[in-house]
Amino acid sequence: MFGRVFGRLLTETVRGPSGVKHAPLAQRAASARGVSDLKDEAQPPFDTSLLHFLVCPLSKKPLRYEANTNELINDELGIAYSISNGIPNMIPQEARLLQKDGDTSAPPTHQ
Amino acid sequence: MAAPTRLLLRRVIRLSHRCNNVPAAGVSARSRCCWGPSTCRCFSDVAGDRSTHFGFETVPETEKAERVYKVFKNVAQKYDTMNDVMSLGIHRLWKDMLLHVMHPQPGAQLLDVAGGTGDISFRFLEYVHSQQERQKRRMARSVQTPSSQDISNNYSTEHEDTPQESRAVVCDINKEMLNVGRKRADSMGISAGLSWVVGNAEELPFDDDQFDIYTIAFGIRNVTHIDQALQEALRVLKPGGRFMCLEFSKVTNPVLARMYDTYSFQMIPVLGEVIAGDWKSYQYLVESIRKFPEQEEFKHMIEDAGFYCVKYHNFTGGVVALHSGFKL
Repeated sequence: MFGRVFGRLLTETVRGPSGVKHAPLAQRAASARGVSDLKDEAQPPFDTSLLHFLVCPLSKKPLRYEANTNELINDELGIAYSISNGIPNMIPQEARLLQKDGDTSAPPTHQ
Repeated sequence: MAAPTRLLLRRVIRLSHRCNNVPAAGVSARSRCCWGPSTCRCFSDVAGDRSTHFGFETVPETEKAERVYKVFKNVAQKYDTMNDVMSLGIHRLWKDMLLHVMHPQPGAQLLDVAGGTGDISFRFLEYVHSQQERQKRRMARSVQTPSSQDISNNYSTEHEDTPQESRAVVCDINKEMLNVGRKRADSMGISAGLSWVVGNAEELPFDDDQFDIYTIAFGIRNVTHIDQALQEALRVLKPGGRFMCLEFSKVTNPVLARMYDTYSFQMIPVLGEVIAGDWKSYQYLVESIRKFPEQEEFKHMIEDAGFYCVKYHNFTGGVVALHSGFKL
């Protein structure tokens, strides 16, 4: 049994997953590239196709992507979820409250 | 050179004193079935504050999530290496078995909760792609006397006919684990069909009826309110969708149980200190395994959440159990 385990360990480390990148996802790649044109800083782009199934964890309503601040906004509740390194942070305690007059408040205290 | 060794020795001695009582109590308690759900999840209500377990420690419920977060933040960089060392590589077989039982088809949408460094999602994408290749080959073979023109036509129409691409969403409460996973994906060249989201299993940021498969591998024991996580799993799955949970469980054989306890409490924290420089996190790991409900009890919890046809498979004599249920 251990021979099999070691064999698998070896093949996995040497081979890696082979056919995965050949998926025909030209559309998704194109949309990601389009978003990256907007902000070419060191951060990888946010994949806007995520918005199809990503919702606010509190209200379960759809979100709006704000490219300027790189955040996902729930206008109804007035909160913004940040995106860092292309990964959206959907923890409610770490979301930012938006004031009604457009000014932004400090982020709510969280652990 | 002598000081760290002395420190290590002192820790080992201290730990072995602590653990001489614990495994014996653990084994005898299991045989007497003393771990009721109330003791497992909630302690007493003291002045309205609910407490829960963090390993063998009792902490306020509000604190558990933060402490779990710190554990995984500390171990994120060495997480995969430690998994290989602690399980002697066997965790790869457990995860492969999960995929084998899952048997996903091309077009499936996976939500991998507590997915961390992405092990399950990578395997899922590889699996569906190889399924796709197999289907293409079968289609090509089914045409009796294919000309080269026919074969090339088959291949080109295959791409257009695919109704939906398989997608894996990795959701974890811990940013560091996701960052490590993302780096791994980039180095392995996997990017298509893979998404990363920071989210809480008790409050998922996904709409209802979205996913075909929900997996949570070695993560649910770290969730503060397991029943809430199960409710959320039921919500985000499509009708007919499958819930699959891979988690450490109770070893059924008493001889193996004793060996496993010794290995867990004597070896694993030491390995954690030597390799990851973090004794406490790995102490938490082995303690949290002991606090998690056993196979039958967890099966009842999943049924209570509303899943049907709940079954479990034991791997490696019950060291790991795979629970599966359907949303109908």
